[in-house]
Amino acid sequence: MSRTRRQHAVVHLGLAVGLALVAGPFLWTALSSLKPEREIRRDPPTFWPETWTLGNFVELFERVSIGTAFANSMLIALVLVATNLLFCSMVGYAFAKLSFRGKNVAFGLVLVQLAIPAIVVMMPQFVLIAKLGMVNTFIGIILPTVVTPLGVFMMRQFISDLPDELIDAARVDGAREFRIFFTIILPLCGPPLATLGLITFLGSWNNFLWPAVVAQSESVYTLPVALNILNGHETTHYNLLVAGSVVVIAPILLLFVFLQRFFIQGIATTGLK
Amino acid sequence: MNTTTRRVAAGALALALMAAGCGRDAGTASEQARDVTTGSVTGEVTVWAMGEEGKALGAFVKDFEAANPGVRVNVTAIGWDVAHDKITAAIAGNATPDVSMIGSTWSGELAKTGALEPTPGNLVDKAAFFPGAWQTVDVNGTAYGVPWYVETRVLYYRTDQAAKAGVQPPKTWEELTAFARALKEKGGAEDGFQQSYTLGASWQEVLPLIWQAGGEIAEDGAYTFDTLEAVAALRQYETLFEQKLAPTDIPEGAFPQTFIKGEVGGFFSGPWMIGVLNNDGGPAFKDKFDVAPYPKGPVSATSFVGGADMAVFKQAKNRDAAWKFVQWLSEPEVQAKWYTTVKALPAVQEAWRQPELTADKQLAVFGEQLKDAKTPPPFPTWEQVAKVLEAELEKLARGRSTPEQTAKAIQAQADTIGTGL
Repeated sequence: MSRTRRQHAVVHLGLAVGLALVAGPFLWTALSSLKPEREIRRDPPTFWPETWTLGNFVELFERVSIGTAFANSMLIALVLVATNLLFCSMVGYAFAKLSFRGKNVAFGLVLVQLAIPAIVVMMPQFVLIAKLGMVNTFIGIILPTVVTPLGVFMMRQFISDLPDELIDAARVDGAREFRIFFTIILPLCGPPLATLGLITFLGSWNNFLWPAVVAQSESVYTLPVALNILNGHETTHYNLLVAGSVVVIAPILLLFVFLQRFFIQGIATTGLK
Repeated sequence: MNTTTRRVAAGALALALMAAGCGRDAGTASEQARDVTTGSVTGEVTVWAMGEEGKALGAFVKDFEAANPGVRVNVTAIGWDVAHDKITAAIAGNATPDVSMIGSTWSGELAKTGALEPTPGNLVDKAAFFPGAWQTVDVNGTAYGVPWYVETRVLYYRTDQAAKAGVQPPKTWEELTAFARALKEKGGAEDGFQQSYTLGASWQEVLPLIWQAGGEIAEDGAYTFDTLEAVAALRQYETLFEQKLAPTDIPEGAFPQTFIKGEVGGFFSGPWMIGVLNNDGGPAFKDKFDVAPYPKGPVSATSFVGGADMAVFKQAKNRDAAWKFVQWLSEPEVQAKWYTTVKALPAVQEAWRQPELTADKQLAVFGEQLKDAKTPPPFPTWEQVAKVLEAELEKLARGRSTPEQTAKAIQAQADTIGTGL
């Protein structure tokens, strides 16, 4: 009994250290957002604010249209989550369970895309978007990532492991592909869909360069793009940046707290890191 | 602000832009500027401007709109970090605004894409600007855009420590070394003098020294770093490190707190540091520091001039109004009012005689220094070469190479990179 208790104590101590390492910086950021700028830049730095203030947030909301940017970020992220869940699983299903000519080549191309850094294709992508007249629009920001190679790959891996008998049985009963996909495959894909949704949301929420290049007026700015205006050429207002970081991180944290069960499950079942 | 990642991204984008922009006619030196009619203008003008300037400009343009009924100026604020990428992407995609603020070292690169319009000959008088400021828009004799605001580097020092050590701000290179020694040994600045040596800004310490020694960064369309003048400048830069008068062991980011705490007694930097020091140092610190012009080298006391310019794109939908707006921004009264708005120093000399600027004694030092200040050559590859300088300067500062070796190493790499023109 006492032995297990001691073991527990050791485990908890280890976990506490890990928690401090992981959560410490976030906590410090959150606390710093409540300090005046001079205290943030002081050396040695303070952890617990000496002077509490909401001034950073007030100034942030005065300087940047945070409300608009927040709404834009949310809209773009949610649309991308929806399109990725639908299209990635459809394409993944086709790669996993249907046989058609050129399937291996097509899947090879998907894998190749996984290896190409986004920055390399950014400029041609922008020229394309510009020629389509989509500069400075939400659709221009959204279009290039409505379906992503990573998502297709994830869904394909998961669906491959589903038994073929399910599909065969449905076919025998006269179900068409869409029916099979929506009523049999999709309901079984809960964990990878949750993971894909989270990854997509995070990716879109944190994405900076692409929206920054496509959005040409502040009404289309996303949160990271709007916050970047505060970054001076020679000087940086750390107080506004930490306050902005808190605004950016808070929704993500909430999302994580609610969905962490799915997230862990999803990673475990699809073998992805 | 992360300069390194920005430069890497900028490099990648520049490559992509070259690929995407193939076939665009390259802006040549003989490009002819067309005159512009700025009498009465109407319509909408879209303007991009960076950072705080961008935020403030949106409200600032109301005066221009009031003076020109029927004109609406639409300002979009963009972040400094993304500005270069955004502008080059916009050029590649033919999605440029009418006017954009550009960094003072970008005109060469952007002009080369053929997207910038040469400044109309009848728009502004180039003699009205500081010569160094005009240099930032001049690409081989053709001006692309108009200087907007400037910054220049001067000497900051702790007045209390200088008084304690019994020294005056240095007037020559030799006096600077003695000054740093006095601050360290008698003034109480235990680390001596702050001279930057890491990636990010060290090249800006050395460029003025090269000019002060009588050298040039580029001549006849090629970089010239392996010269006697450059070696003399590098030796001057090395001296403070070698004599242990400038630290090479304090972490990045410790400055300017080290100056406020008195661990270093002086440094060279731009006008923004006044605001930073007054803010971080608190009200009592205001009387503990002052600024002075650059000490004179063998030939001159030339400083570095940076800042930002306003450029008009060839694809501008409202050309006349765009240029008129740029012209308005360069009027002395407007420049002085802009100074009071965001503390950006006027590029137009006449503006310094406006009451807003004559009252401040520290400001006058910058005004004086601007008369003798230069800018790096407007080569598209300048940022790359600056990176080379920083890497080599760190080796020099840490005593791993000599001034001669440093000059040769920089020259060799600069030759490989080329001017890009």
